[in-house]
Amino acid sequence: MDFRNIPPVKEQIMKCVRCGKCRSVCPVFAEIRNETAAPRGHVFMVQMLRDGVVEPNNEIYERLANCLMCETCSINCPSGIDIHELNAAARSYIYENNPSLGKELIFDTLWTKPGLLKTSTKLMWGAQKTGLQPLARRTGLTRLLPGDLGKAEQILSSVPARSARSQLKNKYKAQGEKKYTVGYFLGCGTDLLNPGVALATVDVLTRNGCEVIIPPETKCCGLPHIANGKLETARLLAIHNIKIFNMYDFDYIITDCASCSSALSRKNMEFLLGGLKIEDEAKLFADKVMDLTKFLIEIIDIKIPENGYNEKIKVTYHDPCHLANAQGIKSEPRELLKRIPGVTLIEMSDANRCCGGSGTYVLTHYDLSMKILDKKMDSIMETGAEKIATCCPSCIMQLKHGTKRHNYKSEVVHPIELISQAYNKPILKK
Amino acid sequence: MDKKQVKKELTNLLGSKKVLTNEIDLMYYSYDSSFLTKLKPVPPTAVVFPKSTEDVQKVMAFAYNHEINVIPRGAGTGETGGCVAINDGIVLDLSTFDEIVEIDVSNMQVIVRPGIVHAQLNKELAKYNLFFPPDPGSSQMCTVGGMVANNASGLRAVKYGCTEQYVLGLEVVLPNGDVITTGGVKSKAIKNVSGLNLTKLMVGSEGILGVVTKIRLRCWPKPKARGIAMAVFDNLDDAPATVLEVYKAGILPSGIEILDSSAIEAVNQFKPDINLPNAEAILLFEVDGNPPSVEYEGTTIKEIAEKRARMVEWATDPKRMAELWEGRSVTAAAAARVRPDGSRIFAGEDISVPLSKVADTLRAIRKLGEKYGIKVVNYGHIGDGNVHTAPVINPENPEEVEKVKQLVHEIHLLAIEMEGTTTGEHGVGVVRREYAEVEHGLAHQYMKKIKNVFDPKGIMNPDKLI
Ligand code: SF4
Ligand code: SF4
Repeated sequence: MDFRNIPPVKEQIMKCVRCGKCRSVCPVFAEIRNETAAPRGHVFMVQMLRDGVVEPNNEIYERLANCLMCETCSINCPSGIDIHELNAAARSYIYENNPSLGKELIFDTLWTKPGLLKTSTKLMWGAQKTGLQPLARRTGLTRLLPGDLGKAEQILSSVPARSARSQLKNKYKAQGEKKYTVGYFLGCGTDLLNPGVALATVDVLTRNGCEVIIPPETKCCGLPHIANGKLETARLLAIHNIKIFNMYDFDYIITDCASCSSALSRKNMEFLLGGLKIEDEAKLFADKVMDLTKFLIEIIDIKIPENGYNEKIKVTYHDPCHLANAQGIKSEPRELLKRIPGVTLIEMSDANRCCGGSGTYVLTHYDLSMKILDKKMDSIMETGAEKIATCCPSCIMQLKHGTKRHNYKSEVVHPIELISQAYNKPILKK
Repeated sequence: MDKKQVKKELTNLLGSKKVLTNEIDLMYYSYDSSFLTKLKPVPPTAVVFPKSTEDVQKVMAFAYNHEINVIPRGAGTGETGGCVAINDGIVLDLSTFDEIVEIDVSNMQVIVRPGIVHAQLNKELAKYNLFFPPDPGSSQMCTVGGMVANNASGLRAVKYGCTEQYVLGLEVVLPNGDVITTGGVKSKAIKNVSGLNLTKLMVGSEGILGVVTKIRLRCWPKPKARGIAMAVFDNLDDAPATVLEVYKAGILPSGIEILDSSAIEAVNQFKPDINLPNAEAILLFEVDGNPPSVEYEGTTIKEIAEKRARMVEWATDPKRMAELWEGRSVTAAAAARVRPDGSRIFAGEDISVPLSKVADTLRAIRKLGEKYGIKVVNYGHIGDGNVHTAPVINPENPEEVEKVKQLVHEIHLLAIEMEGTTTGEHGVGVVRREYAEVEHGLAHQYMKKIKNVFDPKGIMNPDKLI
C-alpha cells in the first residue's frame, strides 16, 4: 500500500496544530528533552517525508525510531491523531525505499565474542520461532552496537528452556458445563519467555467453562514488525492469522498478551488492512478478540475460591501501554487482582507510565530505556509490593530486569498466574 | 559570518552537548503552534540549550559581536511564530534551563529559571499550600519563561489577572551580554516603586529586549474550596448580561467561560458523554475561596443566572465539577470535530473586546464565517472579553487557506473596531505585527525607540511584536 494512502497519513497529518500536549506526556521526550524526540516532531517529520522535503533514509529512520510506540501521545492528542501509527507507517515507508538499511551487519563483531554469541543465539532462536529472523537481523541484532548488545544480554538471560507450545496440546475440553468455545491466541512472548502464563491461561479458562483451542498454525501478531518498519510483513501475518482463526467457530479469541490483543484489535486492523479487500473479514475476526483480563471480568465474571491462595500478599499493578493506552483496559486487571483471596492491591504512582521495554526498544536504546525503567522502579519500590503484576511479556521481561537492577525482591507475574495458583490445583501438564 | 562558522563557534563556546547543528535536527525547531509556521516552517541556523546565565551571556556576546539574530524559545507552544527564527538566527531553547532556585515560603515567593513548566511549578508549590495563579490552557506544557515573555493568563484571569501581576523581579541578559536585575538587585520586597518599572516593561516583551534567565514570582495561598456553575442560554445576549449582573452583585468568580452554539456542537461531537445541552450559549462560572464564601457566591450566581437562563446547575462535588468543567477544557481540542476532514487553526484566535461588545462580536464573527464559507467555533474567557475563535479548514487546500487568511484579517479588524485588541493573551509575534501601528498610534514609535535602547543592533528576536 502506498505510504501516502495509509489512512492516518492521508487524513491526520494536517490535523496537528503543534500544541505540544504530546510533548508533555512522552516518556522518551522527558529524557531527551529536545524537539527531535517530541511526538509532534515525529508528526512533523512524517509530513516532511510525505511531502518529499526529506528523503526516506537512515537519518530520518533513526529519529523516528526513538519512540516506544507506547501510544501515550496518541491518547492525549486533542486533535485525535494516532501519532504512533503515523510513525510506524513512516518507518515502513523508509524501510521499503531503503532495503540497504537491513544490511548494516555487525555479525563480524558478534560472532567473535562468546558472550555476545550466547545472546545472539538466544535472540536468533526466538527469532526463528517467531518468524522474525530477518527483522531480528536488522533491528534486534544487526543495528545494535556491540556495547548495547552486551548490556542487553542481561535482559535476555532468563529465556526458559521449554516453550509453552511444547507443553500444550491443541485442544482442551471445558471442565464442567461448556459455555464458550475460545480460540487462544498464544503469542510469541508468552510462548517463549513466559510459558507458565500460557499454562495458567489454559487452566483458568477451562476451569471456567471454556473449551480452549490453540490453533497450531498461529503466527506472530505482527506488532514487532509494525514497530520496526515492516508493515507489509505485519499485513501478511494479520491476514494469515485471520484466515486461520476464522476457520473455526469461536465465540471469542482470547490472548493473555497486551501487545497481541492490541495488534489484533479492530483499530489496528483498520490501520493495517483498511481499504483492502479483507477488511470486512478482518473486522469480523477482530470483533471476537478480547484481552484475557477483560474476558474474565466481563464475560466470565470470575469467582476465585476462598480456599485457594490464602497467603496474604501485597501486589502492585503496572499498566502495559498496549492494554491501557491502546485499548483503554485499566480496571479489569485490577478487578481481577482484587478478586484473588489474600491479595491486597497497592497502586503505584503513574501506573500507566511506560516501563521503557517496548519489545526491541530496550535492545536498540538500552541506556535510555534504563532511565525510563528506573522511574518506573521508583514508583514500584515506593509501594513495597511483594509481587508486581502486569499483562505483557515485554513489560514482564523489562520489570524483571528492573528488580534485578535495583536489587528489589519482588516477583513479576501475570495476574493469571496468581489466579491459577489460587485455584490451588497442580498446573496442567501435557 | 557564514552559517558553518556560526555552528562551529557555538559548539566551541558551549560544547557539543548544548548545541544542535545538524540540518535535520534543526528542522524540528522550525515551528510553533501558529498557523504561520504550519504553512511555512523555517529552521534556525543553530539551536543552543543554555543551562546557566553564563551560557546565555556567552551566546549573546557572541551574537552581538557578529550581529547574529537570537530567538529565545520555551516549549514552542505559542501561537504567533514568536519563537521561530523567521529571518534566520540562533534559537535559544530555554526549556531545559528549568530549576526552581528557591521557594521562599515565609515571603510567599518563588525564584525559578525560565524553563520550568507551569504545571510542574504549581505541583511543587502545592506542597507548601501555595500557587502561581495564572492558568493558561497549556499549563501542562508551557514554560514560565514563555508565560513571562507573553504576559500569559488564561482561565482564571478574571480574578487573578495576568502573569505581570506576579512577577516581582527578573534577571535579564541583554543583547550586548550585560546582565540586569529588575525589581531591585537584592530586593525581596513585594511592593517596590523605586526606579522605572523595567519588570513590567520586560513582561510581555516577547523576547525582543533581552533573555529572561531568572524570575522572581509572587505566590498566593491556595484556596480551600471551589465550585462550578453552569448556565444554559437560548439567547446569546443573555450571557454577557448575566456576567455583568454577577459582577454588579459584588461577586468576582475566578473564571467565567463561554461556549457558543458552535463550540457546544464541537464538544458534543468530540465527547458525546459530556452531552452538553444544545443552546445559543453556555456559561461556566468558577468560584473559589473559603467554603462559606464559595457556597454564597455559587448560590448567588445561580439565582442571578436563573433570571435569564433555561437551566442552571451549581456543583461543588469534585466529580460533577470535573464533568462540567470538562466541556470547557476540551473545547480548544474539540473544535476540529465540526468537520471530519478539517483542522482548527491558530490564527485570529485571541481577540479581546469590552464585555458590552461580546455578544455583537460573536455574532459578527459568525457572519464573517458565513461570508467566507468557513466554520468558526467560538469560545473563551468572557469574564474579561477574551474571545477565542477557531476557524476550521483543510489547511492543505490552498483555496481555503487564502480564504481563511482574509477571514482572520477581518476578525482582527473587527476587534479593533469593537474597541478591543487583536490579542488578549497569546501575543503578537509575527502574525499580528501588522496591526501594531493601528492599535497603538504614536505610542508604537516610542516602543521602537525603547527597543533600540536595549537592542541597538536589532539582533534580539527581530521582526516580532512591534
Ligand atoms: S498533541 Fe496532537 S495536535 Fe498537539 S502537537 Fe501533538 S500531535 Fe499535534
Ligand atoms: S508512542 Fe510513546 S514514545 Fe513514541 S512518541 Fe508517543 S509518547 Fe513518545
